[in-house]
Amino acid sequence: MRGVLDLCVLGLLRDRESYGYELAQSLDAAGIGPIQGGTLYPALLRLQRAGLITAQWREGTGGPARKYYRITDTGRAALHRGGHDWVTFVTPVTAIMTGGVDG
Amino acid sequence: MNPLLTVAEMTLRELVRRRGVLLLLLLMPLAFYLIRRDAYVGQSVRALLLGISWAVSTAALFATGAARELEPRLRLAGYRPHHLYLGRMLGLWAVGVAIAVPFFALVAVDGSDLRYGGVAAAMLCAVAVAAPFGMLIGAVLPRELEGTLLLLTVVAVQMLIDPAGAGARLTPFWSAREIATWAVDHTDDGYLARGSLHAVVVTAVLVLAVAGVSTARLRRRRHVRHLPVT
Amino acid sequence: MNVDEWLRAFAAELHRRRVATEDVRHVVAEAATHLRDGGGDPWTVFGAPDRYAAAIADSVGTRPAPRPGPVRLQAEGITKRYGRRTVLRDAGLTVRAGQIAAVVGANGCGKSTFLRICAGLESPDAGQVSVSGRLGYCPQQGGTVDFLLPDEHFVLVGAGRGMGRASARRAGRAAARQLGWESDEPVLTRRLSGGTRQKLNLTLSTLSEPDVLLLDEPYQGFDRGTYVNFWDQLLRLRDEGRAIVVVTHLLNQLDRVDVVLDLTSARPGGRP
Repeated sequence: MRGVLDLCVLGLLRDRESYGYELAQSLDAAGIGPIQGGTLYPALLRLQRAGLITAQWREGTGGPARKYYRITDTGRAALHRGGHDWVTFVTPVTAIMTGGVDG
Repeated sequence: MNPLLTVAEMTLRELVRRRGVLLLLLLMPLAFYLIRRDAYVGQSVRALLLGISWAVSTAALFATGAARELEPRLRLAGYRPHHLYLGRMLGLWAVGVAIAVPFFALVAVDGSDLRYGGVAAAMLCAVAVAAPFGMLIGAVLPRELEGTLLLLTVVAVQMLIDPAGAGARLTPFWSAREIATWAVDHTDDGYLARGSLHAVVVTAVLVLAVAGVSTARLRRRRHVRHLPVT
Repeated sequence: MNVDEWLRAFAAELHRRRVATEDVRHVVAEAATHLRDGGGDPWTVFGAPDRYAAAIADSVGTRPAPRPGPVRLQAEGITKRYGRRTVLRDAGLTVRAGQIAAVVGANGCGKSTFLRICAGLESPDAGQVSVSGRLGYCPQQGGTVDFLLPDEHFVLVGAGRGMGRASARRAGRAAARQLGWESDEPVLTRRLSGGTRQKLNLTLSTLSEPDVLLLDEPYQGFDRGTYVNFWDQLLRLRDEGRAIVVVTHLLNQLDRVDVVLDLTSARPGGRP
């Protein structure tokens, strides 16, 4: 799950920067389920340390200062590669599982 | 900040905030004054001086006791022993003078045909002696009850002893009494001279004794070697 | 444990795991923002402070433990008798810059006496102490003045090293804040709670930026949050390269200290 969460976070950050609480809500809204801060922030720090995302404290619009995360070029490459691997892995698995569900 | 003046300032602030104590410090000399007032003003002035002496030395005794735990810490914080005891003494002298002023005004209004300069000088002598006297007792007798009892004894002796006798000169507040006699009874100037000399000598001896005890207690111990940071 | 206490405990655990101070600030601030945005119990959102701190330390990495510096305090062969009773026999302790030493032992085994001898406030019957640099000492009690304000304490202690009024006050307030105490309110010391008075006591001992800090059970009356702050502060001072000796009878902190001197065995007859 660790690697999947990392990929999901990178995916959410692909188009726009975001902060921890918003990411948690987006993950929940996407149907991945509630991801607690205790899981999310270590993942963000890991990604940051690997250079896949960068972070910056900034005042939001009318809100308090938050730590905004933004994907890097390395992060995009990792997302592309990881996403590809994921699809390669998940498509045949899905095909098999679909049979099981239908039967 | 000058360390000596800072200690004096804090001693003063501390005492001034003890409203109850301050009130009792004023009440004591007043009671002494009033109790003898019916007879003859000279007697009340002498009692008043004894009251001031007692009030200031009691304040000094308790201030010394209260600072007992604090002084080692201040010593380690960079103070030298003389900053601590002289600073405290300065503060106590200031309190003593502040206590004496309203009583001088009282005597000036209430009395007549007195040498007012003499009354003021006697008050200053009482304050000058009382601060180091109380501090010395506080430094030598660590328990306040013992110190208070000793003070009580000294004041009782002072009150009852024949001022003309040889033994009277060994009591700490004899100077104030001699000068008061000069101021009230218009005796010869010998009283003033003897009293002043007594006050100077006794104050000096007491200050030196306080210095000796404090310096010994707050000395740098031989077993500790201080090295520079490497 | 409310949110603030959780955050304080979390910060202390991060420090303890030697997460860089800068990272601690960011991670704690981010957790606080998250809790404010989403509400919720920190125990549910993040879990126990120590476990979450472990996860964070895992993710951001930690500083290597600094190598202990030069010897700052060395006590050798300390023996002390009161009358016929030997309180300390041949006790010794060496503390280096960047270390915390704990002096432990049962009540009455001479812990405070040992500390006072190290501070040079009492003479031993035998033994030597060498101290490098400035010494700070925090007595168990009585180190404060009932009728003075906290600010006046700072001025008084600061003046010992010629510190000006304003800078002493600033330094004192800053040191107090490290213990989670806003000391600028003009309240007489006698009106402070026991725990707050101890914070003042402790603050005074760090005011002169000592190289060697001797603390005699300075945390009596601390609630849990303050207690955590206290250790947090000690670890910070240690990481700044100070040598710290703390007298304690609580054994559960010993995992955080570098050197332990157990005086129980030095009791007469109890020595192997």
